[in-house]
Amino acid sequence: MLRSALLACALAVAAPFALAQGTIKIAIVGPMAFVQGENHWAGAEMARDNINRAGGINVGGKKMQIELIRADTNEMQSVPDATNAVERVITRDKADFLIGGFRSEAVLAMQEVAMDYKKIFLGAGAAHSKLGINVEQNHERYKYWFRVTPVKDVDLVRTTFAVLATVAGQIRKDLGKPAPKVAILAEKAVWVEGIVAASKKNLPAMKMEVVGVWQPSAVATDVTAELSAIERAGADIVFTLLSGPVGIVVGRQMGERNMKSIAFGINVEAQKDAFWQAAAGKANYVSTLDTYAHVQMTPKTIDFVKAFESRFGKSPTYNAGSHDAIYLLKEAIEKAGTTDADKLVAVLEKISYVGAAGVIEFDKRHDPLWGPGKSTGIAVQWQDGKKVPFWPPQVPGMKQFKMPAH
Amino acid sequence: MYLLRRAWAELANEVFVLPSRTLVLAWALALLALPLVYDDAYALRILTMTCLFAIFAASWDLLAGYTGQVNFGHALFFGAGAYTSGLMSQKLGVSPWLTIWAGAAVATLIGFLAGYLCLRLRGSYLSLATLAFPLIALGLLFAVPEFSGGELGISGLRRLATTPTQNYYVAALAMLAVVFGLWLLADSKFGIVLHAIRDDEVAARASGINTPRYKLVVFALSAAAAGFAGALFAHYIRVAGPSTLEVALSFQVVIWGIFGGVATIYGPVAAVFILYPLTEWLGSFKAVGELRLLIFAVIVLLVLLFMPRGLTPWVRDKIEAQCPRCKQRNATWRKMCRLCGAALKAEVARAQRLVGHQ
Repeated sequence: MLRSALLACALAVAAPFALAQGTIKIAIVGPMAFVQGENHWAGAEMARDNINRAGGINVGGKKMQIELIRADTNEMQSVPDATNAVERVITRDKADFLIGGFRSEAVLAMQEVAMDYKKIFLGAGAAHSKLGINVEQNHERYKYWFRVTPVKDVDLVRTTFAVLATVAGQIRKDLGKPAPKVAILAEKAVWVEGIVAASKKNLPAMKMEVVGVWQPSAVATDVTAELSAIERAGADIVFTLLSGPVGIVVGRQMGERNMKSIAFGINVEAQKDAFWQAAAGKANYVSTLDTYAHVQMTPKTIDFVKAFESRFGKSPTYNAGSHDAIYLLKEAIEKAGTTDADKLVAVLEKISYVGAAGVIEFDKRHDPLWGPGKSTGIAVQWQDGKKVPFWPPQVPGMKQFKMPAH
Repeated sequence: MYLLRRAWAELANEVFVLPSRTLVLAWALALLALPLVYDDAYALRILTMTCLFAIFAASWDLLAGYTGQVNFGHALFFGAGAYTSGLMSQKLGVSPWLTIWAGAAVATLIGFLAGYLCLRLRGSYLSLATLAFPLIALGLLFAVPEFSGGELGISGLRRLATTPTQNYYVAALAMLAVVFGLWLLADSKFGIVLHAIRDDEVAARASGINTPRYKLVVFALSAAAAGFAGALFAHYIRVAGPSTLEVALSFQVVIWGIFGGVATIYGPVAAVFILYPLTEWLGSFKAVGELRLLIFAVIVLLVLLFMPRGLTPWVRDKIEAQCPRCKQRNATWRKMCRLCGAALKAEVARAQRLVGHQ
């Protein structure tokens, strides 16, 4: 009787530990009060639910469930808060892996903490090259960092130029202009400076003429002066580099002025579902880089986007790449048969994983390889209230890019 | 033996006689002893950050609280220290143990310059002018991204120490030394002059005090302490970035100062030690995680509503009383002044009290 009671007590004490051993803890670290963090979490939740429903992750013959830890980094407002959050999930919550991050300065500091503890950190938000340069310069320390999404800043520019070449090609064909005129409309911010300089240098080589650079504030509520100057310059393409709410104003006022030039570039507001309504339904033909659409970037893209939209009622942003990051981790763990970080690094460095946004393979900086058939992102255009994907044109499901009537 | 006896006598006569000083001693000892009994890496990180921000808050109080030069751009000095130390350490390969002093020195110089530019400004005009300084500094840093790292800052800086416990002791000892130094300064004749400048600068000048010189010295000293904190911070998180110059940091220090009680030095320090871990602790709860800033704001508002002079003056008034004759402070439970022997509370008969209330 006494022995049974002792056994029962021992089992009761041991049960939580047994359960804890059966889970893989993944910390989702992001600015949870912002849309970026929301998407980190949403993408991760979807992956967790699907994987756990299917039995979990097979770790050397043992099925383990995924347990997510939600960590608000508050990185938009405080870098120290972000590092504290990473320390907390590693030392208190005993996270095995980290996924997320957004603001590059904060992610650099978060990267340091994660590397101190030799924890694999899959980036799903910050684009700055420095994160990958750290890996190249000091592989032994920084090898636990891998960037899953987006492609690094330099590659984002390459995508932008590739799309610009497509748009310019259509203008040459439709309007018979051998050297389309490009007006650069970039908000006053530090991040645009490198791209503006690169554009001035490279666009003439791509047989495009740069007619000028206009730089409104990122929060400007009126860009009439800039748009009329662009019209006078006879621009065929308005190359936008806009992350702030001015992106909405540009779209609306271009529509109101019935401009014949086409807006393409980076317009963060135009990536959002609510853009059309915010621009009073006047932002026809506005185009931007994006990540997800109902196109077959890979065999998994359409299913993922549909499932995301049906569960959360909105389209995923690139931060929902946390979904791909978890599946990537699953595949690496199952290949390695362990959750040991050093062994997983070796597997991840050689992995080729077909995700929802593209095929993920890492270069020596642990950045995703850029190029057709790998990770490039897509370009979309607003056409009569719908966000229509048009680039890369060879991908099944892409639609025709439209020009305003001349 | 003699020294021990003398130290005990000092403690008994200067520290244990006042509850506030006893509390401060207990707090300092607890800080130093903490890693010996509780070496949790996360707790040590929070306390390391707390110590660094405590230096920053105390430096603001010397300038704004004691001298009345309310600085809304104090992050300028913090960022100057962080960037100077970070750049020297990374570009010149100098040991961070040396560059942190260089960070403080450059911040001192910048503090002197900022003070010089603001000499003729008073009140809200001074505050608004100082608000612009960190923004100008940010603009200058962004203008030379190859040198300053642009919007990303400088990363991969060398740490001063390797383990969490060592880092904690570096921050805690630096904090205790700087804060005690600032308190001694503020409690000296120099501090009395600063009080005079804050209360009535014209009267102070009429009394023969060279107020511009004092203000410049205070700007420089306050900047030195803030720059030192910034340098330590940069080497701790291994990044010196634009966030060290952000407006939010400048306002954060104002909140700490007002919450804890201005013109005290220990008040803003106490505020950091309460508010910083509290905000972090709130963030660890899933239910309130993203509401922590709202809860933080409500707590600050409530404290300021019921304790308009700040938290520490309110607490001090509860546990200590001033002698009506010699103006020295005594524990509230004493009936006679510990120095002059005057009665601290007049014995008033019940009937008289009632009359007094009518």
